[in-house]
Amino acid sequence: MAEGVNFEDLVACHYGPLYQFAYSLTRDEADACDLTQQTFCIWAAKGHQLRDVSKVKTWLFTTLHREFLGSRRREVRFPHVELEQAAAELPTVSPASVHQLDSGQLLDALGQLDEIYRAAVVLFYLQDYTYNEIAEILEIPLGTVKSRLTRGLARLHHLLTHVRPPLKP
Amino acid sequence: MNRDEAKTILLLYRSGADATDPEIAEALALAKSDPELSRWLEEQQARQEALRGKFRQIPIPAGLKEQIISEQAAATRAAARREKVVGAAAVAAIAVSLLMLAWFFMPSRPGQPRLLANTLDNYRLQMVNLALSGYAMDMTANDAGQIQAFLANKQAPSSYTLPAGLKNTALIGCAVGRWQHSKASLICFRTGKPLAPGQQSDLWLFVINQAEVNDVPAITSPQYAKVRGLITATWTQNGQLYLLGTAGDEQTIKKYL
Repeated sequence: MAEGVNFEDLVACHYGPLYQFAYSLTRDEADACDLTQQTFCIWAAKGHQLRDVSKVKTWLFTTLHREFLGSRRREVRFPHVELEQAAAELPTVSPASVHQLDSGQLLDALGQLDEIYRAAVVLFYLQDYTYNEIAEILEIPLGTVKSRLTRGLARLHHLLTHVRPPLKP
Repeated sequence: MNRDEAKTILLLYRSGADATDPEIAEALALAKSDPELSRWLEEQQARQEALRGKFRQIPIPAGLKEQIISEQAAATRAAARREKVVGAAAVAAIAVSLLMLAWFFMPSRPGQPRLLANTLDNYRLQMVNLALSGYAMDMTANDAGQIQAFLANKQAPSSYTLPAGLKNTALIGCAVGRWQHSKASLICFRTGKPLAPGQQSDLWLFVINQAEVNDVPAITSPQYAKVRGLITATWTQNGQLYLLGTAGDEQTIKKYL
């Protein structure tokens, strides 16, 4: 049972990545703070129901994502993008160019991604979650995770090549 | 699997994390034997790592952690206060409900006062409750003088005047009731109608000092009111407040006035 989890320790451990995830989704500091706060609020009310303590982190990210979707009042079904040959869209942006980016530019590019790709891409980069964990957090099938990541990463990289003159290939 | 297919698959590859995926494992194996794919993969890994670092640089507002913890603590305290208030309200509601139930359903006995606001309506209600409660008469007698003497001895109102209609009605006995901190006399009669099992009388006259009930004006003509199914007549005479009650309607009770 997760009843023994200390709330302050839990917050200290996860609030940063949760906020970054929330900010990546909302691109608004106040909304991201609210989402993060709300996630811990829900944990305080319902966290004791979680039986497997090792799932706490996944539970928090799942809850935050649900709250985000709920706040957007937008039903996101599970459109499955075919795993087409994404190589044609593969980025030409170089690692050195990426290093010149600041977080704001990265988030601008991220914001241009379709919402259905965005959460998967952020989780992919932010937390090193496995595909199965991402599927669990986003509550979508594993195949859908892979298709969203393939398409989302390709588009993100493509977008990053057009961010600023220094980023030109 | 050709090179482009491998690139598509390896786009999702994170070093060390995803190598167990069969498709990725196959693409990695291909990269080992394909120098161009291997170079592409190396660059892709560097790009992924750079992007990962950028995502982790998203600044976190100062004080967010403290805000979350303090707001949760405040919410917990507020919830505890709400629980206390709700708990106290629930206890109070239950207590009031029990008192009301007891008031309505527990038989009252002469000598046991009930604390009600001192009004004529409440007096009328309490006396009717007493009449309907299956009280025990303090004295059983059909002699008016004997009953008056008994009441006088009990310091209950005894200098009453019976209305003409009651003088010819069968007298059964009397009891001493209480209103607030004073005594009320209860004189019991029988109308002659069949009584319910255990019932001793079906016509009751209450007499109390008029001053013991607040704000009672002089009532020279009887006032009629239905209380808990009984018809009652109320009047005052020589400083005494009279209350007569029985089953029926105004016409019924007028026969006893």
